[in-house]
Amino acid sequence: MIFNGPTVRPGMLLASVAALNFSMLVAAYGQSAQGPASDPTNAGKAVFSRANCMGCHKWHGNGGGGYGGDALSLRKTELTRDQLIETVGCGRPGTGMPFFTRGAYDEVKCHDMNRQDAGAQMPPEGGTFLRPKDIEAVADYVIAHIKGAGEPTYAECVTFFSSPSRVCDIYKTQTQKPDDATASAGKGQQ
Amino acid sequence: MDRFSGQSRMLSRVCLLALAGAATSVTGTLPVYAAGEVNQERLLNVDKEPGNWLHHHQNYAAHRFSTLKEINRDNVKNLKVVWTMHLGGIEGGGIWSHGGLEGTPIAENGFLYVTDGWGSVYKIDAHGGRGVLVWKMDPKTDRDWAGAVACCGVDNRGVALWGDLVISHTLDGRLIATNKETGQVAWQRTVADPDKGEVITGAPLIVKNMAITGVAGAEYGIRGWIAATDLATQKEVWRTHTIPGKGEPGSETWKDSNNAAAAGGGSTWVTGTYDPATDTIIWGVGNPGPDWDNAYRPGDNLYTDSSLALDATTGKIKWHYQHTPNDPYDYDSVAENVLVDIPGPSGPRKLALEADRNGFAYAIDRNTGKFVWGLPFVKKVTWTKGLDAESGKPIEYDPNKPVQTYVASVTPSRDNMETDICPGNMGGKNWPPTAYNPDLKLWYIPVIESCNRIKVEVATPDKLKPREFWTGGGPSQPFKITGSVTAIDVTTGKVAGKMETPFPNLGGMLATPDLVFSGQPSGEVMALDAKSLQKLWEFNTGGGVNAPPMTFTVDGKQYVAILVGLGGAWDKWFIDSTPELKKIQPGSMLYVFAL
Repeated sequence: MIFNGPTVRPGMLLASVAALNFSMLVAAYGQSAQGPASDPTNAGKAVFSRANCMGCHKWHGNGGGGYGGDALSLRKTELTRDQLIETVGCGRPGTGMPFFTRGAYDEVKCHDMNRQDAGAQMPPEGGTFLRPKDIEAVADYVIAHIKGAGEPTYAECVTFFSSPSRVCDIYKTQTQKPDDATASAGKGQQ
Repeated sequence: MDRFSGQSRMLSRVCLLALAGAATSVTGTLPVYAAGEVNQERLLNVDKEPGNWLHHHQNYAAHRFSTLKEINRDNVKNLKVVWTMHLGGIEGGGIWSHGGLEGTPIAENGFLYVTDGWGSVYKIDAHGGRGVLVWKMDPKTDRDWAGAVACCGVDNRGVALWGDLVISHTLDGRLIATNKETGQVAWQRTVADPDKGEVITGAPLIVKNMAITGVAGAEYGIRGWIAATDLATQKEVWRTHTIPGKGEPGSETWKDSNNAAAAGGGSTWVTGTYDPATDTIIWGVGNPGPDWDNAYRPGDNLYTDSSLALDATTGKIKWHYQHTPNDPYDYDSVAENVLVDIPGPSGPRKLALEADRNGFAYAIDRNTGKFVWGLPFVKKVTWTKGLDAESGKPIEYDPNKPVQTYVASVTPSRDNMETDICPGNMGGKNWPPTAYNPDLKLWYIPVIESCNRIKVEVATPDKLKPREFWTGGGPSQPFKITGSVTAIDVTTGKVAGKMETPFPNLGGMLATPDLVFSGQPSGEVMALDAKSLQKLWEFNTGGGVNAPPMTFTVDGKQYVAILVGLGGAWDKWFIDSTPELKKIQPGSMLYVFAL
């Protein structure tokens, strides 16, 4: 109900990018849309992708340093559901964490500030605005799947991407990892 | 050679007929001819086919200079868009919300070969004053795998031609050979491994029968390399690491107990140059990692921030010249080395020119690796008081000091955890290529006039994880950043002119006998007078220009082409320094201009 129509399944935004390139996987695409749909936080997972949370916090939520400064770890966060909702809606003043509520710091006061009060501390505007239900959904997803989750695992990664990408391979343990002839071009060079 | 190019002209005319036939449904009646194959002879003698643009950097010396002069200072005001073509590849992936265009088109006999950010290759027929897509090769890049470890955008800077193949890279580490006529993949080979944080954004350099590949990933703890693949056998000929292994020469410049060299960076993501006289490849090497915590890696950290000369046949290092030892600024030296010959008192001086991220332009003797001259090409440098006239090293450099502090009050360090540096970490010049006019002996640098703020985070070995950032801090953008085109007189080593621009130059240069062309990330493509740098023509493309212009002819008529599509790192990491650019939309389009 939160999304644009019955064909857009939670969590499929990323998968659809890959699926376009792998037409043979159209069948699998349909299947995976049914499986995860039973998870009530899939709506929030889709928001996590759509609002580009992973652009800074990464798919696993651990954030990390880099050119954009340090996005905080959502795995180590101590924020409550209400605090997560406030942070997504209002952003974090004085940091790169954007606000995602339409009208934040204008009609909607954030941290008891308007745009003028915030001044130079005004957080950036998110790339997309989220409705309150979207923000609640993404907070529920973070609490259910990311907060307190320890180090990222292969199973988590595969669940997140549900695509044929090799993005999860490094989380496999040595025994899980199959021989990979194509990736061994640089062997003996280390 | 003359006979050869005559033949290829004739063949391409036959191809045109074949295409025309196909368009009018007379297929099968005309035989299909192979176009002229590209070989080392042609790549060495591109001056004999001025209507083509066969190298990424135009010639082996990276001049990006065309002798074509149908478009010149007297008539450039009449330059108009003659056709455009929408391309693809703006999809997101990994940490990136969109891809962009940074490539240089290759032109051969009236056909263009261009790439989009995800490495799709497009062959476009430019005959008859319009563009027709002949084929598109989509390598189906693993976007999430590669995009998650691309520090600075979803980018691909273009293709090379060899034999009847189009040679290209993908962000997820492959070298791909595509049949020039059919667009079918002939073969592919994995060269880089995103599982180690390695990706490829540069165009291949073809030397003899080899494709030379550089790698990106110094922000993810890679150990950099330059690799040569034999295009006939598809086997690796050599791979030279830019960080020496244990016990190798240069390993003594990593004095830590962290085994920092194993993740020491030294990327090579800008296409290098080749000097056939000495069979030498000259290639720029990127920053050490972690970028901003140089106390983690005491020592000079060879061969990071260096120009590296390699024996093209063996890959062995002939000489190196390091610009910023023990770099605490992310001032990489990945830029192209432009090879020029200047008359000197005892015969021609053979120089390699490099415009470094650290704000200085260098001329190095390309046979010996010795410093000749250096000067700042940006308006503001704060990290050093200048270069030593003899060695070219920053005057504060102390070879006996394990951790360099340069001008300590501004230099990021464990004692100076938040500080402002000029140029900013994206440099005085980043990857966008320079151009060199050999008649005027002027070298044109696309400049980012910048300062930014660096926050240091102390690196520890436990923070080094596969596919995670390994930077020891990060930049922020409290200052407005502008740009310029700065011309250097190579005979004197002095700045000959500076044309300031409201935005940084994120696209690069093209030189013709009396003009230079460039662009702005706010959308403008412009032509300047080659001597005065006065702006003579401008057109606003309505998209972000993050790619260099090039020029070519079809049936004797001159065209200028440029890819336009918000690419690179700027809109994700540096946009706060240019807030006006926040409104620029992602896009993917080829613009072609003519009189």
